[in-house]
Amino acid sequence: MLFRDVSKVYPLPAGDVRALDGVSFRVDRGEFISVMGPSGSGKSTLLNLMGCLDTPTEGDIFISGSRIRDMSDMELTSLRRDRIGFIFQYFNLFPLLNIIENVTFPLMLKTGKGVDPERGRDVLRAVQLDEKLFTHTPTELSGGQQQRVAIARALINNPDILLCDEPTGNLDSKTGAGIMDLMTDLNRNGTTIIMVTHDSRIADYSRRTIRISDGRIVP
Amino acid sequence: MIFWEIAKRNIRLHFLRSTLAMLGIVIGVVAIASMGILGNSLVATVSDSLSSVGDSVIVYPYTGGGGGFGGGGSGSTENMKITDQQFQQIKRVVAPGVTIPVHSTSERMKVGVGGDDLVASIYGVDPQYLKDLNFELSAGSLNNANSGCLVGSAFAEDNNIRVGSRISMGTDGSKGALRVTGIIKERGMSFDISTDNAVIATQDWFENTYNTGKYYDEVVVKVKSGQDTADVKTVIEKQLNKRDKIVSVMDSKATLAAIFETFGAVTTFVTAIGGISMVVAGVSIFNIMMMSVNERVKEIGIMRSIGTQKKEVMSMFVYEAAIIGVIGSVVGGILSLLAGYAISALMLQSTKYLFTVATAISVGEGVGFGIVVCLACGLYPAWQAANLNPIDALRHE
Repeated sequence: MLFRDVSKVYPLPAGDVRALDGVSFRVDRGEFISVMGPSGSGKSTLLNLMGCLDTPTEGDIFISGSRIRDMSDMELTSLRRDRIGFIFQYFNLFPLLNIIENVTFPLMLKTGKGVDPERGRDVLRAVQLDEKLFTHTPTELSGGQQQRVAIARALINNPDILLCDEPTGNLDSKTGAGIMDLMTDLNRNGTTIIMVTHDSRIADYSRRTIRISDGRIVP
Repeated sequence: MIFWEIAKRNIRLHFLRSTLAMLGIVIGVVAIASMGILGNSLVATVSDSLSSVGDSVIVYPYTGGGGGFGGGGSGSTENMKITDQQFQQIKRVVAPGVTIPVHSTSERMKVGVGGDDLVASIYGVDPQYLKDLNFELSAGSLNNANSGCLVGSAFAEDNNIRVGSRISMGTDGSKGALRVTGIIKERGMSFDISTDNAVIATQDWFENTYNTGKYYDEVVVKVKSGQDTADVKTVIEKQLNKRDKIVSVMDSKATLAAIFETFGAVTTFVTAIGGISMVVAGVSIFNIMMMSVNERVKEIGIMRSIGTQKKEVMSMFVYEAAIIGVIGSVVGGILSLLAGYAISALMLQSTKYLFTVATAISVGEGVGFGIVVCLACGLYPAWQAANLNPIDALRHE
């Protein structure tokens, strides 16, 4: 992933807000990067741009050589589905679906077929979730268990990049450490991870840290 | 597919809300379909009560216009009749159609000895034309002699008349007596001769008894195949109403068409009134679909962020509207048969027209309209859901 002079401006009635200002960096395959910075520094904007949920006002973003500015909404959506895995602070599982259905949801989107329980079980075993919970609904699981399910959902389509937004922000420290150990294992197995966090102890799990302040990368 | 499953589960999750929305559709479909059924039954009932007179043109003396009753102020009875000369003119222009002169009046009469005094219509028709008038008999024969007569079924039934019964005509039999030779089957409402409550005497007897001469009350023209009633009407009018309007001509086929057109318009009108309830139901569907979208903004944001296409988000909400629409409409369709049955029984005192193709079409239209309304009302909320900004939707609490 390559960011080249990327700026993002939000036009507001009170005046334009420049959330990112000429940001350039590169993420290589297999990296584990944390993005740190105070509130309002532009972390979420950066994450949205990396996740192809938004497009830059200026500059270019390339993912595996493809410029996202040139892509249609449908192409960006397919890119998110096939090559990017999202992990959210509040897990964001679907309450109407059970655990296997939640995990295989992106796979169903990709294949256009129904639930593949075998593949779902494989991924859930990989994130070390108790098999007895596979047919439960998300609300019946603890926070740590829900985050493991969310990680399994993010991994189901074998994405190139995992984007994590405060993945342990809603967990106690012990459970958070367990989740970070899991992410470290995934990175060792070749998954690229970019993680936004406030917590420097969590950032210590990463191998590189991008610090951001007032929309600029701090050297 | 998973979106179908999510739509089903969301309906189950909000069971009461969804059921109420379905109820609205049920009521709308019942209102439309049962009104359609009632209208169809009404048309079928009227159609059945009209005898098959689609091949007739009836010519009456023109009584309207400036001169008041009697036209032109002469006051003579002949002015309100069709003369033999006019009859011959009609006969000439409508050939090969059959032209039947008809006398008619009302008369006091008494059936048998010691029977009650009655007043009924009496027609004078040449027996040679009885077959052309398509009278079907339930008893007796058409071959009535000069003092014979035919009577209508209702008249016969009401007055206990059988073939061979004697009817004294006029006060105290002053106009002689007629012997019943045949009873005409029920013909219902008809444009030429309304026989059900009448006595059909011979032309000779009528002319001799009432001293009418060759002045007729109406002339019935039975067109032959290949002739069009509208054309026949036109040629008669051209021939007889050259300078002044002398006769009124009624094309029974056109009149029937006008009657059915009126009933069709009435059916459409009452169905449209039923349609108002469907509009209300549609608003309710729109409302709950908007609620459904607003409750699930964050879920939509998550879906979009992990790779759900806009059309897939849209399909989820369209499925939801479709499930409500299909279940509500089908239940409404079934209930509309019951409602149609009840309304027909109450208003028409008959349900024999319920199980017809027209009923199936009415129910089908109601069900189809219900589904279309649901889908149409679900489209905008679905479109709105699909076009939410994923970032804003993810931030939504």
